[in-house]
Amino acid sequence: MLKLFKKNGIAVGDKIKIHFKGNEMAGELMPNTEVSAPDTIILKLENGYNIGMSYDKNMLFNRVSEGKSGIEFPKAKATTKKGLPKVTLIYTGGTIGSKIDYKTGGAFMLIKPEELLYEVPELSDIANIEIRQLFGIASEDMTSVEWAAIANAVKEAFDKGSRGVVVTMGTDIMHYTAAALSFMLCDLNGPVVVTGAQRSSDRGSSDAFFNLIASVSIAANSDIAEVGICMHYSSSDERCAFIRGTRVRKMHTSRRDAFRSVNDKPIAFVDRKMKITYNNDYNRMMGEIEKPVVAKTDFEKKVALVKYYPASDPDIFDYYIKKEYRGIIIEGTGMGHVSVSQANKNATPLIDGIRKAIEKGIVVGMTSQCIYGRVNNNVYRNLRIINDTGVIYCEDMIPETAYVKLGWLLGNYDAEESKRLLDKSIAGEIKKRSRYEEFLL
Amino acid sequence: MAEEPEIKNGQTDYKALGFMCGLEIHQRLATEEKLFCSCATGVLDKSVKPIATISRYQRAVAGELGSMDKSAEFEQSRGRAFTYNVFEDNTCLVDIDEEPPHDLNREALEIALSIASSMQMHLVDEIQPMRKGVIDGSDPSAFQRTMLVGLNGSIKVNKLNINIPLMSLEEESSGIASSTNSSVIYNTDRLAIPLVEIDTDANIPDPKTAKAVALYIGTMLRLTGKVQRGIGSIRQDVNMSIKDGARVEIKGVQELGLIDKYIENEVERQKNLIAIKSRLIKAKAKVGKAVDVTAVFTDTKSEIISDNLRNGGAVFAFMLSGFKGILGLEINPNRRLGTEISDYAKMAGVNGIIHSDEEMSKYSISDKELVDLREKLGIKMEDSFIIVAGKRETAIKAIELAVWRADYSLKGVPKETRMAYDNDNCTSKFLRPLPTGSRMYPETDIRPIAVTEEIRKAALKLAPDVERERAYLDSKIRSNVVVEQLITSPKLQLFKSIIEETKVDPEFAGNILTQKFTELRRSGIDVDSIPDKRILEAFRFYANGKITKQGMEELIKHMGKDESDIAGILVKAKLMRIKGKELEELIASERKEHTGMSTDDLRNRIMAKCRLNVDGSELNSLLKSNP
Repeated sequence: MLKLFKKNGIAVGDKIKIHFKGNEMAGELMPNTEVSAPDTIILKLENGYNIGMSYDKNMLFNRVSEGKSGIEFPKAKATTKKGLPKVTLIYTGGTIGSKIDYKTGGAFMLIKPEELLYEVPELSDIANIEIRQLFGIASEDMTSVEWAAIANAVKEAFDKGSRGVVVTMGTDIMHYTAAALSFMLCDLNGPVVVTGAQRSSDRGSSDAFFNLIASVSIAANSDIAEVGICMHYSSSDERCAFIRGTRVRKMHTSRRDAFRSVNDKPIAFVDRKMKITYNNDYNRMMGEIEKPVVAKTDFEKKVALVKYYPASDPDIFDYYIKKEYRGIIIEGTGMGHVSVSQANKNATPLIDGIRKAIEKGIVVGMTSQCIYGRVNNNVYRNLRIINDTGVIYCEDMIPETAYVKLGWLLGNYDAEESKRLLDKSIAGEIKKRSRYEEFLL
Repeated sequence: MAEEPEIKNGQTDYKALGFMCGLEIHQRLATEEKLFCSCATGVLDKSVKPIATISRYQRAVAGELGSMDKSAEFEQSRGRAFTYNVFEDNTCLVDIDEEPPHDLNREALEIALSIASSMQMHLVDEIQPMRKGVIDGSDPSAFQRTMLVGLNGSIKVNKLNINIPLMSLEEESSGIASSTNSSVIYNTDRLAIPLVEIDTDANIPDPKTAKAVALYIGTMLRLTGKVQRGIGSIRQDVNMSIKDGARVEIKGVQELGLIDKYIENEVERQKNLIAIKSRLIKAKAKVGKAVDVTAVFTDTKSEIISDNLRNGGAVFAFMLSGFKGILGLEINPNRRLGTEISDYAKMAGVNGIIHSDEEMSKYSISDKELVDLREKLGIKMEDSFIIVAGKRETAIKAIELAVWRADYSLKGVPKETRMAYDNDNCTSKFLRPLPTGSRMYPETDIRPIAVTEEIRKAALKLAPDVERERAYLDSKIRSNVVVEQLITSPKLQLFKSIIEETKVDPEFAGNILTQKFTELRRSGIDVDSIPDKRILEAFRFYANGKITKQGMEELIKHMGKDESDIAGILVKAKLMRIKGKELEELIASERKEHTGMSTDDLRNRIMAKCRLNVDGSELNSLLKSNP
């Protein structure tokens, strides 16, 4: 159909008229982004509505006027105000870093820094913002390579005098990223705040605005020297929570308060007046120190996260052994179970696969799909049998964090050392006490 | 006040006035579920308590053309907090902007397409859901989902062709539970109930026709049997202007019968504002800048002002020259130019303005204060002034809005969205500036919906046809009153079933379903909750001669209170018809008791005793055949 338009000298964005069966339709030709109906012509009418018309060979087209190209969004310049701390905002893509093409509604474009400052003018009153566009990718496409790039960019920002850093990204694997940055950034002396949006910022109700304001507030004004995620703490626009990067998990597909603190309390809250209230222990900034932030970014890609489910196939381990994996985190049931199958003939014992993997030198860690709580290798006989294979029980560490941690350990240490460190706390991911008030926060 | 060359033979000549008028009719549909989720669609009674409340803030975002919308900016400048009441069966995460929309409600689409078909509209091949920016908080997502379903239709009203350029299917907004100048509490039960919007073009020639058009469309919508009824389920917005006036949208006229009055008043208001403009220009009128006059009132006895000052407030004023007597001119019943300016100031959160055409003693403002005020403003005795008091920030915003509106009276009529608010006088007040249109963009969370041939055919079959229905009823019923009531009644389908199945007298059935029902409703009997199939069953009893006409009326009354089976009610309430042999025996026994009584007296006696059980004509013929 595009060919046909081309023949008629019509391009997307042009104002056109379509004559058909005595009807005349006038409007702007929109791109058809739906693959399911390639023969539909999308017109934007004068009143703002889009309609779809099925192409018919008796239709007559003519161009009324050429379309204007490019939409100019209003901008505001980054300003430098005396006395305000410097905060670097690192953009990586995702809902928060993009804007909608209002005409097509389809293609998301990366928002320009000046446009962001126009939309959220409050930011310029909290800090002198320096914006760095690192890349523009969806969160689910991110890998350890991007995590390393972000860690290096954060280090660079601190080296260049930023007091704190805000990283914006898509929300889906945000908690993996936050965990990765928690391990990769050593000797931190300032806040690193990861944030995003559950609702796109083209709508006036977006959570992006308050999330950004709260995140920049933490970066500019808190004395937290840790990595964490700062997003809405409830469905209301009243409070954001800053949650430790190794303890945070996306617990809802769509709600703005999806990010919850697991087995730990949020470190701090930020209210609408940008007031910070501390709520937990944390590493504090130490004033002016000479030691720069170190970015230890090596990461072993051959690490897997395997979920155990009733009758799951132990042969999965053969696959990972064949592919020369070096680490596997199991999401077991309850306190860290997989089928051991002493009594039930119908069961498929995963334990044989685990044994084989460990014999091949793969580091295997056990976490729980309960998400909340601590694994235990003693309470039941079966747990002891599993433990005897050499699996490391990962205490109260959440599975995703354990996966990232093992990848990072094996990237930087040998298997023996990685095994030793897996159940020891490095970045607040494990603690010895399980407090009453930490459930379902 | 205004010169009126537009009056011909005592009738306003709207053509000469350059009258332009179009209607937007919004009607809620009676679907099982909401438009994009599976929540219940009933509007809840005030006694139902929310299970949760959430609070949100919204901001203006750059629109489609990159510019901020004027009405959006205005709303954001008010910085209000929005609270949403969440209800157990009527609100889900989709409603409160915490989950993407589900698939489009097919039932709603079918109803909408059938309505479009009945106006001979061109149905679009593929429906593209759009987001229309709304930032008064009435939608937690800050936009309303809307889609165009039909184009270029028309209806015929009073022999005039009225064009219907577009019809859309959209989400209803939330209802306001309460509001102050800094916050609004919304109920989300109403939110996202399917709603159709039908727009006429601007060629409605006069207010009376506007009313007729609204009535016609209302009738057609009710004919579908698939629209909600009751207060607020249908709303009319009027778009209108006159020559040298401006386009004004009056929102929320809820009573159809008052539409013409609202329009007539708006015409009057615009005429008066135009006349004021000429007077002001002739007088070389001027509006000054806002001045901080707090110092004048530090020891004031005026409670209105001192209340504000006590809390660290401020007083601002500005000069108006050439306005003497004009601020107090009535431009609509009970509304003056001063009221118009005051409504703007109120938007910022003050309680109102004080202007010099008012009696200063009513505010306890002293003569000394007046002298000081005039000195501070640098104005003469014949100049006017406007004062605003409030919290400093609020007062600044308020005085700026007041200056803007006062200054506009030199230009004429401002473009506005107004709200119908005084149903006694049929007048409206300023709500917000007219939106500037750049507020619609595609809803990317939903795929376009193809309108297949099959859907089209189904829609056409369901399409309501006012003329056809009226002709059908006219052929069955003589009473025009009953026809007009039935045509818009939710019982129309039931009426058809009754007369087709039971073959009872249509006049009688129609009368029961309209006038009798109204009468019973008024006497407090809940006839509306009697299921249609029970009413049909009652008519079967009547058709089979088990009950008399009078008995039927009594039966319906009982059915409104008693849900047990009809045969049981007939026995309990002694409503069984006495007929045939039984009636003959009754006549015989009465005769025996009252020997010598005339046939007439005998009939009257029996009727008085058994009015509900005996059919008068049967009694007559029995009396006649056995004298």
